[in-house]
Amino acid sequence: MKAFARRMISIDRRIIFLLIAGATLLPLVRPFGLPIKVSPEVKAVYDYVEELPKGSVFFLSFDFDPSSKPELEPQAVALLRHAFRKNLRVIGMTHWLPGTSLADSIFARVAAEMHKVPGKDYVFLGWSPGGGSLIIAMGQDLYKAFPSDYAKRPTEGMPVLQGVKNLRDVNYLVSLAAGSSGIEMWYVFGKDKYRFEMAGGSTGVIAPGLYPFLRSGQINGLIGGLQGAAEYETLIKQKGTAVAGMDAQSADHMVIIFLVLLCNVFYFVLRNEKGAAV
Amino acid sequence: MIVLKRQLPLAITLIMGVALALQYYIPHPVSEDAITHLSKWMQIISGFALILGIASLFHVHAVKIKRQAAGWGYSGLLYLAMLVTIAIGVWSGGETKVNGAQTAFGWIYDYTMVPLQATMFSILAFFIASAAYRAFRARSREAAVLLVAAVIVMMGRVPLGQFLAPWTWDVTQWLLNVLNSAVRRAILIGVSMGAVALSLKIILGIERSYLGGSKDQ
Repeated sequence: MKAFARRMISIDRRIIFLLIAGATLLPLVRPFGLPIKVSPEVKAVYDYVEELPKGSVFFLSFDFDPSSKPELEPQAVALLRHAFRKNLRVIGMTHWLPGTSLADSIFARVAAEMHKVPGKDYVFLGWSPGGGSLIIAMGQDLYKAFPSDYAKRPTEGMPVLQGVKNLRDVNYLVSLAAGSSGIEMWYVFGKDKYRFEMAGGSTGVIAPGLYPFLRSGQINGLIGGLQGAAEYETLIKQKGTAVAGMDAQSADHMVIIFLVLLCNVFYFVLRNEKGAAV
Repeated sequence: MIVLKRQLPLAITLIMGVALALQYYIPHPVSEDAITHLSKWMQIISGFALILGIASLFHVHAVKIKRQAAGWGYSGLLYLAMLVTIAIGVWSGGETKVNGAQTAFGWIYDYTMVPLQATMFSILAFFIASAAYRAFRARSREAAVLLVAAVIVMMGRVPLGQFLAPWTWDVTQWLLNVLNSAVRRAILIGVSMGAVALSLKIILGIERSYLGGSKDQ
């Protein structure tokens, strides 16, 4: 038993890689489609968007780059579909320069799918340097901070921005963040000063760190990782890549749990062995 | 010279630090105009920081190539990739799309940067699994608690886990909303207090390391 445990505890990591590859690929080929449970924090975002009257200003900040695309793109797509379905006026931007083109393509793709017109139903402002100071500038005068949108169209006089002078005129803001230039920054420099309601969407890795903001009411909802995106897709009754990916994520979690339990069994078998590599 | 190098930056820091702290609590139009102008300055400075960052990256890798330090070939590759991207970016006018059509710069972004970054992030799953197998052991009572919590959260956050053990959903929600929040809040308060103390030290000229130069500064 001990010899077996010793061999297993120093197993070639390529076998672990193969297990993970199999657990990821098989559910994508043959999905098992288990129901997605909706958490109160995701439901809160959905409910707020649902309650907004037609023509309200919905601001979506794409604060991520392509490395977080698998988790945050489904969130963005689900939120945009919901906002466009509710006929909200949608403003988008990003604080992450490498994510600008990605955000633009997501925006354009969902808008085309929902038959929305740029400049009339939505505007993508693009990226501008400054982070927190850019938010302050937008809070004072949106048109000075972004005189033109990403497609170089002047923002002043755009039908989608009618009646919008600054961030005070935003009804709801969601920051989809993969790091520090995101939810916390929007709260500190934006919501706290210009008094709009906001929520966050994040990668699974940073989601636990945002729960204090959720509990204190600094953000009214939180969409965490691929699971959060799948929950939102379930709520809007339009399944996308998040629901499809949850089977793979489920299988991966199970494999990791199995591996962790297994390595602990071997660890306890070898624990009292002198000089064991445990 | 010492006035320009030391006293003037300290005076600017003190005045701007106090003024901006007060500005937050004064909703007068003059105060609002001032912050609008200042935020423009800060945006311009941020823009220059980007140039500085690129220049620094070029410098660091130029030194590596010149000295033929370990892995200098990668620095050469980085140089090549940066120069090609900059050249194509300039040629495309910095646009990824023109009249709806993708430019060469857009092609580089969509077909190299997006898949490369996504791949880098995706391989984490493999390394996390391998690292968990080798390192996630109940060596102590504290590690055992962490292990149990991690297994419950990993079960509770995915549909298959919720299906196999429905109770993990509620326990996960409790762990995230109560225990995790409490600990994170304590850390956040500590970090924020530290940030306030450091800001005060900088504003009052006690902390001067940002000025650089010799020890007496």
